[in-house]
Amino acid sequence: MKWQIAAGMFLVLGLIVLTLGLALSEMPRMELFKASNDARAVESGALLFENSCRACHGPQGKGIEGVAPPINAADLYDGSRLAAVGWSGTTEDYVRNVIAAGRPVPSAGTTYPQRMPTWSDRFGGPLRDDQVDSLVAFIMNWEDRALAEGGGAAPPPVVEGAVGTDLTVSLPEGDAARGQQLAEGALGCSGCHVLADVGPAWNAVGDQPGVGTRAATRFTQDDYTGQAADAQQYLVEAVVQTNAFIVSGYQANIMPQNYGDRLTGQDLADLIAYMNSLR
Amino acid sequence: MAIFRMHIPFLDEVKAKGLRQAGRAKADDLVTRVTAGLNPSDVRGLLRDDPAARPNPRLTPHAEGFWLHMRPTYYHTLVDGIYPTFRLGWLSTFFFVFEIITGVFLMVYYTPSPDAAYENMLNILGNVFFGSTMRDLHKLGAEAMVLVVALHMLRTFVTGSYKKPRQFTWATGIILLGVTLFLSFSGYLLPWDQLSLWAVTIGASMVEAFPPEVVGQTMNLIVRGGPEFNADGLLRFYLLHVVLLPLIGIVAFGVHYYKVIHHGHSLPPEAEKVGEDTAKRVPLDRRVYFMPRIITRELFYIVALVFLFLAAATFFYEAPLEIKADSLVTPLHTTAPWYFLWLQGMLKLGDKVIWGVIVPTVLIGLLLVLPYFEVGPSRRYGDRRIGLSVAALSVAAIAVLSFMGTPWYGVSTSAEQEAVATLLPQTHPGPVRETEWEAIELGTFTASQYTAAPNPAMAALLETFHAEVLKVNDAERSQAEGFMIVEDWQTDLRKVTLRVVWTNLADNSPGEYSQVTYVHRQAAYNRGGGS
Repeated sequence: MKWQIAAGMFLVLGLIVLTLGLALSEMPRMELFKASNDARAVESGALLFENSCRACHGPQGKGIEGVAPPINAADLYDGSRLAAVGWSGTTEDYVRNVIAAGRPVPSAGTTYPQRMPTWSDRFGGPLRDDQVDSLVAFIMNWEDRALAEGGGAAPPPVVEGAVGTDLTVSLPEGDAARGQQLAEGALGCSGCHVLADVGPAWNAVGDQPGVGTRAATRFTQDDYTGQAADAQQYLVEAVVQTNAFIVSGYQANIMPQNYGDRLTGQDLADLIAYMNSLR
Repeated sequence: MAIFRMHIPFLDEVKAKGLRQAGRAKADDLVTRVTAGLNPSDVRGLLRDDPAARPNPRLTPHAEGFWLHMRPTYYHTLVDGIYPTFRLGWLSTFFFVFEIITGVFLMVYYTPSPDAAYENMLNILGNVFFGSTMRDLHKLGAEAMVLVVALHMLRTFVTGSYKKPRQFTWATGIILLGVTLFLSFSGYLLPWDQLSLWAVTIGASMVEAFPPEVVGQTMNLIVRGGPEFNADGLLRFYLLHVVLLPLIGIVAFGVHYYKVIHHGHSLPPEAEKVGEDTAKRVPLDRRVYFMPRIITRELFYIVALVFLFLAAATFFYEAPLEIKADSLVTPLHTTAPWYFLWLQGMLKLGDKVIWGVIVPTVLIGLLLVLPYFEVGPSRRYGDRRIGLSVAALSVAAIAVLSFMGTPWYGVSTSAEQEAVATLLPQTHPGPVRETEWEAIELGTFTASQYTAAPNPAMAALLETFHAEVLKVNDAERSQAEGFMIVEDWQTDLRKVTLRVVWTNLADNSPGEYSQVTYVHRQAAYNRGGGS
C-alpha cells in the first residue's frame, strides 16, 4: 500500500508535468494542424480540378482557346481581370463566386461559346461548400507562379496561312498521330468530344461507330443541312463551319467557330486523319 | 420580534475558547463532514495503514456517505488479487466514467449536422486547446472499453461466475456489453468523415436485411433517417450516443453492480465446494477492508491509467480523420470497426438474412439466457470441459471471422487496382502520402527498376509497387509493369500518377490502369502518432 501511495504521488506529479508540457506545445501544434489542413485542401482541390475543370480550362489551367479562359494567368492575380469585369472584392472571393455561381453572361470582349456552369450545390451544382473552398485553395496556389511568369490572356495568335472556312480547300497528306496530339492538347477537342458529353463522342460508343465511320455517311442523311459533298468535306465543315449542321441532340453555338482562323492546312489534315482513324 | 435572526455558532465558540482552539475544532469538524465520518486522526491512521480502532471508524463512511454506501466495506482475500477478477469489471467502470468526462468536453464543440460536424472536427483539432488530446483520449478509451468489457464477459464465463445465484448479473452484463458496443459504434459516425460514414454504413446494412422486406426497409429508414445516412441519421446516432445509450448503460450498470455486491464477488472456483456459494460468508481473518487497502489501490489505478492514456495520446496515438464524408464515393476496402469485423466476416459466408440477422440474433439471445439453461452445478475447470472448450472455440471463431471481415479475405478486386491501392489506399494516408515530400522526386520511375531509384524512400515505394504489380500477371495477362510519374504541378504541390500497364494474352492488346493523387509539402501525413 505504501508503494502505491508513493507511486501515485509521483504519477500525479508526472501528470502535472505532462499536462503543462502539452499546454505549452498546443499553440504550435494547432498552427501545424492548420497548415497541414490548408495543404490537404490544395490536394483535394487539385483532384477536383482534374475531374471537373480540366476539360475546359486545360490540365494546368492555362485555358483552351475557344473553349474557356485561362485561370493560371497573371491578369487574374494582378487585379487587371477584376478591374475589367468591375469586381471590387478580392481575387479569392471572385474565384469562389465564379465557381459557385457560374458566369451567366460572358465578359465583355470574349467570345467563349459556353457559359461557366454553377458548381456549388447552393445553386444546383454538384459540389459542397468545402469542395468549392478546396478548389479555390488550389487555384489561389497558382498565384505566385502565374505572377512570376507574367503576361495574361494573350490575344489569340494570328496563324500564318490559316485554312479558312472553304470546304473545297485541298489539304496535304495528314498524320493521324500528330492529329491526336492536337486534339488532346492545344486544341482541346478531347475536352468535349471524349471526356464530357458536350459534343458527339468521337470514339465508338455502344453500337454507335467512331467518327470516321459516321462521317462517311452523315452528309447523305435526309436531315443533313450542310454543303459537304463527301466525307472529307463533311469533316472540314464540322471543324470550320460549326453551325452548318448540328447533329441531332446537340446545340448550336457551343463549338467554337474560330478554328478556320486557328488551324493551318496541315493541322486540319492531321486532325481529319486522326478522326478518320476512329472507326 | 425580529423578522429573522442570524446566529453564527462559530463566533460563540471563538468567544468561549479563543480563535485558535475554535478554528482547529472547526477544521476537524469539516474533515469529518467531508469524509462522511472520519476525523483527522482517523484519516491520518488510514494513510499510515495503522490498525483500525474498535469499533472501526472506517466503516462509518460506508454507512453515512452516498458514494461509499455503494461499495462493500470489505472483500474476501481470495478475490483481492489480480486473479480471479483481473479487475476487468472495475476497468469497465473506469472507462465508462473516462468516456463521459472526455465526451462532455468534445460535446461542447460539436453540432450533429452534416454541414457542421466535420468542420467541428477541424475546429477541435486546429483551434481548441487540448482538443486533439481529448479526442485521442476519447477514442482510445472507447477502444479499450470494448476490449475490457469483452474480456470481462470471457472471464466471467471461464470462472463460471455466471452460475446460480448470479444468473441475472450475467444477463445485465450482456446488456452492458451491447450498450458498450453500440456506444462505440454510434460514436464512430459522429466525425462525419469518409472512414466513419462507410464503416457505419457497413454495420447498418445488416438492418436492411431483416425479414420480411417491409420490416427491414422500415428499420433501415429509421436507423439511417433515409435510404442513405443523412442529417436525420446523424442526429439519431448522436442522440443514441449521448443520451439513450448512456442512460440505459447507467441503469443497467446500477442493477449489475447492485447484484455483484448483493451476491458478493464470486470466489475462485477451486476455493469452495461444488454447489456452494460462500462469497458472502467472509471469515474475520480473510477480510480486506475497503479502507484503506482497496481505496488506495483504486486511486492509484486511476492516476496510473490517466497518466498512461495521456502519455499514449501525447506521444504515440492520433485518432484518424479522413476527408469529409461523401455518400457518392465508396472508398475501396472500407471495413466495419474492428469489434464488428466478425459480423462483416459472417456476411461473407453467404446469405445476408441468415448470417447478418438470424445467426447474430440467435447468438446474442443464447448468450443472454445462457445461465438459465447451462445449470451444471460445478464451477470447477475440470468439470466444465465442454463449456470451456466451447468458449475457446468461440474465441477462435471470432478471431477467424474477424480476419475474414478484413479486405484480405474474399474481396474480389482486380490486381492492378490492388497494386495502386497498396501505395494510395482510400481508407488511410498510406505509403505515398506518408513519404517525406522532398523524397518524392520529379521524373518517371519504373517499378521493376526500384534499385535505380534516386533515394531509399522512393526505392521502398517502388519495390512495394513492383511486388504488387507482379500479381497482375496471370493466365490472361502478362508483362505487367508499374510506373510512378511525379510532376511539378504548383508551388509545393506535386502530381503523382501511378500507372499499371500489361498485355492481354487473348489478343495481344495493351491494358492500362492509373490513378492520380497530389501531394503538398505541408500536408504532413507523416507527422507521426503524437498529437
